[in-house]
Amino acid sequence: MALCTWGGVALCGVALCGAALLVPRTVTAAPQPPDTLRVTVTVSDSVRRGETVLVTLRLTNTSDKRVTLYLTGRTITFDVVVAGSDGQVVWRRLDHVTTQQIVHVKALAPGETLELRDRWRAAAPPGTYTVTGVIPTDREPLRTAPAHLRVAP
Amino acid sequence: MTHQSTAVRLLAAAALVAVAACSDGTRSTGPEPTPVLRTAQAPDVGTLARTVPGFGGLFIDNGVPTVYLTDVTKRGAAERALGAFAQSRGFAPGDIRVLQGRYAYGDLDRWSRAVTFEAFDQGGVVFVDLDEAANRVLVGVERGASHANVRSLAARLGVPAEAVVVRETDPIVYATTLQDQVRPVVAGVQIHFGNFLCSIGFNAVSGGQNSFVTASHCTNTQGGVEGTQYFQSLSSQPNSFIGTEVADPVYVRGGKGSACPKSRRCRFSDASRAAYAAGVPFTLGGIAQTSGPNNGSLTITGSFSVTSEGNAVVGDVVNKVGRTTGWTQGVVTNTCVNTGVSGSNIVQLCQTFVNAGVGGGDSGSDVFGLTGGNSVRLLGILWGGNGAGTQFVYSPITNVEQELGPLTTF
Repeated sequence: MALCTWGGVALCGVALCGAALLVPRTVTAAPQPPDTLRVTVTVSDSVRRGETVLVTLRLTNTSDKRVTLYLTGRTITFDVVVAGSDGQVVWRRLDHVTTQQIVHVKALAPGETLELRDRWRAAAPPGTYTVTGVIPTDREPLRTAPAHLRVAP
Repeated sequence: MTHQSTAVRLLAAAALVAVAACSDGTRSTGPEPTPVLRTAQAPDVGTLARTVPGFGGLFIDNGVPTVYLTDVTKRGAAERALGAFAQSRGFAPGDIRVLQGRYAYGDLDRWSRAVTFEAFDQGGVVFVDLDEAANRVLVGVERGASHANVRSLAARLGVPAEAVVVRETDPIVYATTLQDQVRPVVAGVQIHFGNFLCSIGFNAVSGGQNSFVTASHCTNTQGGVEGTQYFQSLSSQPNSFIGTEVADPVYVRGGKGSACPKSRRCRFSDASRAAYAAGVPFTLGGIAQTSGPNNGSLTITGSFSVTSEGNAVVGDVVNKVGRTTGWTQGVVTNTCVNTGVSGSNIVQLCQTFVNAGVGGGDSGSDVFGLTGGNSVRLLGILWGGNGAGTQFVYSPITNVEQELGPLTTF
């Protein structure tokens, strides 16, 4: 499931389940090419094992000019990678799925944000995990810096 | 070869070397610096034509300095004029190879200029060259263009028939990519509709209607005809409108006794057909070709030609050309796979998986097998891929024609 907002105003999609979501923490990615964009991923600091975690990717045009993005999918495709402290990937959103290989041309006005959301059921063993967002384009994908998530017993 | 510009470049290089040698008054006790130019340059052809009687051209033949002379007894003059040049390449002046020339360089130069001035008014002329390695004027013409027109032009200009060689060659074009406007339209190039970009799968004729086939999800609504308008390569370009969607069967809901899973919508192909607008040139059977498979190049260097249709089996090596990842090639790993489409309730029935590169925008691409030379067997329409971009999924051509009706594709 993917939800999208424009400028943090309009929300289209499905209501989230009543998971115990704590205060979200935003991690800002290192500068991305083009450097007019900021890509971030937001997750809870901590969650109990088996509960659902909301993962939010935000792609913001930080420039004063309109930016045209060449994203993929009729519904914009994005990946979320959850890895343990040893680097072992425990969940990848796009693992074992087939996506339509279409370019989605999306314009972002200055200051506008594209928001993409999904949920992950934290079935992994207790520990600390990194969560990274990836937004494919028709060239190099846009990647967030990792956010940290603690899965409690 | 443009002789004047070459001579200017050589003089400039020599001047730079001379300046470098003279401008620094300090002395070095270290090793001798590596010379900027290690090879003595040949005198310019104008000088050779004046100082070597019967000079007809200079070239390097398998490393050996070689010269045409209309009078081979004049090799002494050639050795004097080119001795330093030969020595810089490890040959004594006496090692210079002398070939019997038929025409003097001055005559060839005059004829070449005369032919150049008028030849390009004739259709199909690609280039005119004073070919110093053949002692002739060489005229390149596109395949199928008239040789006789060039020969009659040469005769009218007073150029001896034997002095002109006419050779068929590929046209020289600006480096065009799969994402540029391409005419005639061929498969593999970018198409634009709404806010989306895809690729053309193949050209076809259906019931007398000139058409192209792309993915069903490369229409305004996947399944059902709503008259999607297509542009190649972008709607913002002039003369880019190429056609309108005319065939895209609806997806059917699953149920008992159906091949389609319950609560899903299915088809056997992710394919649609668009009718070309009047006057849009296209090449039936043509697929854009890049420089090689799996090298990432998007530059069009030629074309494949569909000469048959067929189906692949596991283990076959197949190809695709699409606007994002170009020409990719890999092995068929699974056939007739019922495939769920991420983010939807659609299941594509009986699809083929290939271990080969894919990216967003390749949807709609042609999938084909190489059958020898530039001939290919059309296999289907690409529509999907995995998240890593290492596996693509396509609808077999039999499924496509089962749903879109019979298509003439070559």
